[in-house]
This record gives sequence, structure tokens and C-alpha cells, in this order.
Amino acid sequence: MDKILKFENVSKHYPNGVHALKNVSFEVNEGEFVSIIGPSGSGKSTILRSINKLIPISDGNITLDGLLVSQQKGKELRKLRRKVGMIFQNYNLVYSLSVLQNVLHGRLGYMDGLKGIFGLYSEEDKKEAINLLNELGMEQFCYNRASDLSGGQKQRVGIARAIMQNPKLLLCDEPIASLDPSSAKTIMDLLRDMTRKRNIACIVNLHQLDVAIKYSTRIIGLSKGEVVFDGPPEKLTDDVIERIYNTSRENLMIGGAGNDKKDSADCA
Amino acid sequence: MTDESVIPSTVRNNSAEKASNKIPVGCKDKNTFVPRFLTGVVVLTVLSLIYLNIDWLKLLSRVPDVGVVFWDLAHFDFSDMDIIFSSMLETVSIAVLSLLYSLILGIAFGMIAARNIFKITWLSVLTQSFFTFLRAVPTPVWVLLMLVCLGMGSEAGVAGLCVHTTAFFTKSFAQSFESISDETMEALEVTGTSRLSIFINAVLPAAFSQIVAWTGMRLETNFSECAILGMVGAGGIGYVISRNLQNYNYGSAGIAILLVFIVAYVIERLFVHIKKKI
Repeated sequence: MDKILKFENVSKHYPNGVHALKNVSFEVNEGEFVSIIGPSGSGKSTILRSINKLIPISDGNITLDGLLVSQQKGKELRKLRRKVGMIFQNYNLVYSLSVLQNVLHGRLGYMDGLKGIFGLYSEEDKKEAINLLNELGMEQFCYNRASDLSGGQKQRVGIARAIMQNPKLLLCDEPIASLDPSSAKTIMDLLRDMTRKRNIACIVNLHQLDVAIKYSTRIIGLSKGEVVFDGPPEKLTDDVIERIYNTSRENLMIGGAGNDKKDSADCA
Repeated sequence: MTDESVIPSTVRNNSAEKASNKIPVGCKDKNTFVPRFLTGVVVLTVLSLIYLNIDWLKLLSRVPDVGVVFWDLAHFDFSDMDIIFSSMLETVSIAVLSLLYSLILGIAFGMIAARNIFKITWLSVLTQSFFTFLRAVPTPVWVLLMLVCLGMGSEAGVAGLCVHTTAFFTKSFAQSFESISDETMEALEVTGTSRLSIFINAVLPAAFSQIVAWTGMRLETNFSECAILGMVGAGGIGYVISRNLQNYNYGSAGIAILLVFIVAYVIERLFVHIKKKI
């Protein structure tokens, strides 16, 4: 299996003095489905955003598909970025445009010159976008405004846009945090099946422990910017969970016996 | 149940301290800015009255004349209709043309002036300050400058109106572009799309309805300003009105003024209708 991504002793200090990441090292192979879990503020988003240089790191090396991310600039960075698809909690679509136009945005990174600037997509790209929407069960919404869709449907458009990029790696920043349980299951199923079919490595930030255990081939546990667990879901024992979240597993369930006040203060 | 029981105990204690049975409704720490501001306005008004030395009594004695003038204006004289219509058409054309040029320029400069598109802060600040300067100088001054540069006629009107309108559009469009969420821009940034392409494919469509609203509003302003500009020599209906008034040709001036009102009203209704559709 090919290595897609490699973190070597990566650290990130924000100007306000927060140490978001401390000496983080891990690797991701082709076709893996990795979940990153940890309380809010543990550095999950920082990890995802440093991979495509939305956030520059302070120390260490990130290697993406054989290239050092920190050395890429301008056009080279854009070339590297199109290998990485990204899915967001708030979908981040352009709501005044059609579903099809939003999906086609995934191709803009490949289009040079005036074609790219004015969004003149090729017929092949359009066909591929329609096929993709078919696969996601969204074919009847092709020409609807993105603002008319439900949350789960919007996220499916988000997935289609990311897959249109033909990525080697898919980053999902809490993709189901704004969805109801049934839509959340649909989205997670789609993410797993579509990435498996195309052999795309997938990194998902999750707040739902049970979802992470069910879908992942590997789980990375973060606590205060440090990797405290990296292994298959079976090895995620109650001990480890307690180390990641600083509280026992029962307290993680809503309505648990824990001291609610203390928990929310820690996590906020 | 007595009245006392519905009042929360804290409030009851409070009112007891003040030895009154009325419940206070204002905020605890009152904002003292508003009364100070109003006092300032009153002082400035009095000072202005003293400085200008306006003789209201003399003005009042002239009030009946206002009625006479309007009575004369209402006696429409249809003999100059061809000139009035053609100059009205000229005015509308100047307003529309300057609007169109400014729209294109405003989108281009607005893109540079918005801080979130190219993320070059010094360039945005520079563009915004430059256009703030252009906006601070009133349109008639720009038109007079253009009349000196380009000579009499509608070209000077279009050019002069363009300066102010472009400055206005740059500011308002930049604001509209900046209101597009960073997350949406981020979503396209991570696909490897260039910033110019992000602007045209995502920001512009998202800001489109706001652009239409600003444009409609500005067409109204441009039209009414254009009517004034004719009086300084930039062609159009304004010139007809001022010339007829100076020659005591109240009947023709009356028709021209009525026409200005009708066109302005039609433009307003048109854009109210368009706004509902978007």
C-alpha cells in the first residue's frame, strides 16, 4: 500500500499562545478510513486544515503524495490542493447556484486560463458530474438551487463536489455534526462506500464515538494537541477513551452520571 | 390573588427601597449618549440660526408668491414638447450609460477593495481610501471638472456621473463581497481554484441579488442627479428646466418638472417589482 500522507513531529502554535498541535506524527495509507476523535479544542480541525495548508504549521513536516506541503506556494500549492477533497460541517455550497454548478466547482482547479475564470466546463465534466449525482441518488435535483435542499442533500452535494476533484485524499471536518441521525447514517455510508470504491484515503473528524468505531479502519485519538491513541477501533478500550476525553465513557453519553458542569467547561 | 403576588420578589424589594410602588422598566446602566447627542443637536441648531441670520418674518410674507409660481407652472405649455421629450431621453440615456460603465468598473474595483478576495490588505485599503476621496467630492463638482476637460455636452455628464457612481459601487459591492462567508470561499480554495476564478464562479453569483438592489437604488439617484447636472451645462432635461425658468416660461418648465417626477416614479416602481423577483 502506498503512503499518501505523513506527519512528522508536526507542531502548531497560534499567535495567541495556544499550542494546537504538539509533536504529532502519523501516516495514512491509500484506501484507509481514518477517524480523528477528541474533545473540542484538541486540535482535530488544525490537523485537517494543515494538510492542505489552510493553516500553516509552525514546526515539523507534512508530506502529501511525496511532496512537502510547507514548501508549496502559488500554482504548485493549487496543484497539490486539487488532490485533496474537503467536506465541511456547514456544507459551504454556493446556495444561489444550481446543484450541478456546485458539483462542477470541483473541476475549477483543473481548468486553466479563461475557461477556469469564467467556469466554462467541458461536456465530459458535466457528464461525470451528472453520473456522480446519480450515484448519490440526487439526479432529480441537478437543476435545483442548492438553497432548496435539506441538510443531508446539501452534504451529498458537498461529497460530489469533493469527488469531482478526483482526489487521492478526502478530508471531512465533522461532516455529520449538523445532521439528523438518519441523514448522518446515509452520509457516513456514502463516504465509506464511495472512497472504498475509488481507493481514496479518507480522514474524518468526528464527535460521535460510536460512529467512529463503526466505520473506521483506524482511529486516531487526540487530547490537548497530542496523539494519545493510534490504532484499529477494536483496541479503543475504555481506558484509552478516558485518556482522550478526560472523563469516563459513561459521561460521554448524554444523560450520563458525570458532572455536567465540569465536562462542558473542559470541552468548551 | 393580589397584585403584589405577580411581581417577582427581587423587583418588589427594589421598588420598596425606592419607596414607590411603580416597577422600573429601563436598563440598569442608562446610555447617556442619546440625551447628550440631542442636546448637541439643539445647540448647533441655535448657533446656525444665529450665524445665518435668517429673517423668517420676511420669508413668511413671500409665501403667497409660492402659490403664484406653482399656479403658473401648472398652466402647461405644450409648444416645446419635442425639445422636452428629446432632452428627457438624453437625461435617461446619460443616467443609464453612466450606470452601466460604473457597474463594470465598480465590480472590478469592488473585487480589489474587498479584503476577502485577494487577501492583499494594503491594496484593499488603498483602493477604498482612493474611492472614499472620489465619493467625498459631490457629483456636480466632478461634472464641472469634466466640462472643463471634455467641453460642454452629454459626454461630460456621463464621465462626471461615472466618477461618483463608480466610487459608490466600489464601496457597496466590496461590502457585499465581504459578506460572503469565508467558509464558502475556503471550500473552493481547497479545490485548487485560483482566486479570480473563485470570485467569478462563487462570490459574484452569491452577491448577484445585492448587486441588482444597489444598481436599482443608484439608477434613481443617477436620474435625479442627472436632472440637476443639466443646469450646470451637461445637457438633458435640467438645461431645459433652468432655461425656461430663467425666461419666465413657466408652462414649459412645469411640464418638464412633471415629466421628471413621472420618470423617477416609474423607475422606482420598476425596481420595487424587480427586487420582489430576486
